[in-house]
Amino acid sequence: MIKENDKQHEHLDHHHDEEEVMEDYEVGTKPESLRSELLTLNMGPQHPATHGVLRIEIKTDSEIVAEAIPHIGYLHRCMEKHSENLDYRGIIPFVDRMDYLASISMEVGYALTVEKMLGTEVPARATFIRTLVSELQRIASHLVAFGTYALDLGAFTPFLYAFDQREKILRFFEEISGARLLYNYVWIGGVWHDITEGQIEFLRDFLDEFEKELDEYHVLVTSNSIFKDRTKDVAIIDLKTCFEYGATGPVLRGAGYRWDLRKIQPYLLYNQLEFDIPVGGDHPQVGGVVGDCLSRYYVRMCEMRESVKIIRQLIEKIPAGPIMGKVPKIIKLPKGEIYMRTECPRGELGYHLVSDGGKEPYRLKVKSPCFTHVSILPKIGPGLMIADFVAAVGSIDIVLGEVDR
Amino acid sequence: MKTSLIQESSTSDVSRKDKEETSPFVQYFRNIFNAVSSTIKGMSITLNYVLTRKPTSIEYPEVREVLPANARMRLYNDALNCIACNQCAMACPVDCIYITSYPRPKDLEVPKTEDGTPKRQVLVQYTIDTSLCCYCGLCTTVCPTECITHSHDYEFAQYTVGQFKYDYTDEDIIAWRDRILGQKNK
Repeated sequence: MIKENDKQHEHLDHHHDEEEVMEDYEVGTKPESLRSELLTLNMGPQHPATHGVLRIEIKTDSEIVAEAIPHIGYLHRCMEKHSENLDYRGIIPFVDRMDYLASISMEVGYALTVEKMLGTEVPARATFIRTLVSELQRIASHLVAFGTYALDLGAFTPFLYAFDQREKILRFFEEISGARLLYNYVWIGGVWHDITEGQIEFLRDFLDEFEKELDEYHVLVTSNSIFKDRTKDVAIIDLKTCFEYGATGPVLRGAGYRWDLRKIQPYLLYNQLEFDIPVGGDHPQVGGVVGDCLSRYYVRMCEMRESVKIIRQLIEKIPAGPIMGKVPKIIKLPKGEIYMRTECPRGELGYHLVSDGGKEPYRLKVKSPCFTHVSILPKIGPGLMIADFVAAVGSIDIVLGEVDR
Repeated sequence: MKTSLIQESSTSDVSRKDKEETSPFVQYFRNIFNAVSSTIKGMSITLNYVLTRKPTSIEYPEVREVLPANARMRLYNDALNCIACNQCAMACPVDCIYITSYPRPKDLEVPKTEDGTPKRQVLVQYTIDTSLCCYCGLCTTVCPTECITHSHDYEFAQYTVGQFKYDYTDEDIIAWRDRILGQKNK
């Protein structure tokens, strides 16, 4: 591709020489000398393919991206600073609004951080419910990733099918927590509402139906040759780049590295559950090279199946009992600091909480996976076609609420 | 044409060897066959959806979804049972609850709420700025008399932002009481 460009330039230069010769003959009718320069193009902030309000400044050479500079901050809501003036319970609604497609995962990470510092014991049933809802949330989040990725590449129907299934999970969340997206469900010390037997029955039916749907998605999208041509060998993020930039989650696993905090550093109930970590290269029949858009996409699809497996194990042995542990009415954390990390659908989410012994945190820093992944874009962008760049942005699955916080 | 060139240049050596083995002529028709057959496979699933599935969307203004019992919609404060303890305003993370009250004069009889809690404060104003509210539900959990609840009203568009400030001691809003308590008991 680069060679082709050079040829073009040579061609242009050749023309230029000819014109200079022409100049001697007809003075005054000199055509403007031909030249080529990069065209600056703004992708976003209101572009549907940027998944939120991400603005990427692209310098293009004809249709090929020469430089991609992401500009963030359009969804900055000052959450970290604001939480310094809130009590520990009041931060949970703000934590929800970071990654609005995986609110439960955000809440679980925050609640675990505060509980570890506070030394609270969480009842067994509450831990079960937390694991259950965070895996359901993973499915819901990956369904959005799957649907919008197909949408980015020009297929509209899978988006509707994915949202149809996601709607059922959201309905379940609405029944247990009262809200569809911003739940405020996982509290410090336990969970807010209990799950009834009928809701577990609903989950069983849903999982059976969802597994069949997942097979259909594979026929509809994964085996589609147009989809494969658009994603295969495009925007390869190799392991070296992943380590340099600190990529986690499906991006790192898509590059073929078996790293999942649920296995490496188990929290909640993950050390008692049986599940695999899918990585890129596990299924060579899918095609493409390890680390391309297709393998990142395929890792997400496999993870959904693993989540189904986890939820099946959980609902079989959910214990009875209370759902809230003993937490003081006014939460005051001891002086000190803590860093706690969990595996949210998009990667590794870390909370660094510094307390000075008061009712409010001294500082709450969030390590967001999407921020890291956005920073990879300038590295993988150059050399891609604009349409492939859209595929690359979609495949890393970013949520801007979490990037800007 | 250009796309295919670029993809070929970026593929690994192994796949390139495979492509060299088959002639471009055969490859051309194989690509067409793959594209058509996978599209037909996808279309068959879509057709299956069209013929066998019921529509999942509902025609909203005519048909309404039944909300779950603990759905969190517009806040409603039952001012008759409120003891003006200010706990909801303290718990609110966005500070959207404004309460004005004064201690009840000692010579007056202290009225009681429905659950028997004495109302030691006289409630003058209880305003919630619904446009600020983040529907987290923290105020409802701290209320000792359980007078502040999330109602099931979700259609309350207004012309100006100021109209979202509801004073729950207002008689017009107290008149909602029976309807909202009925929603909860359903």
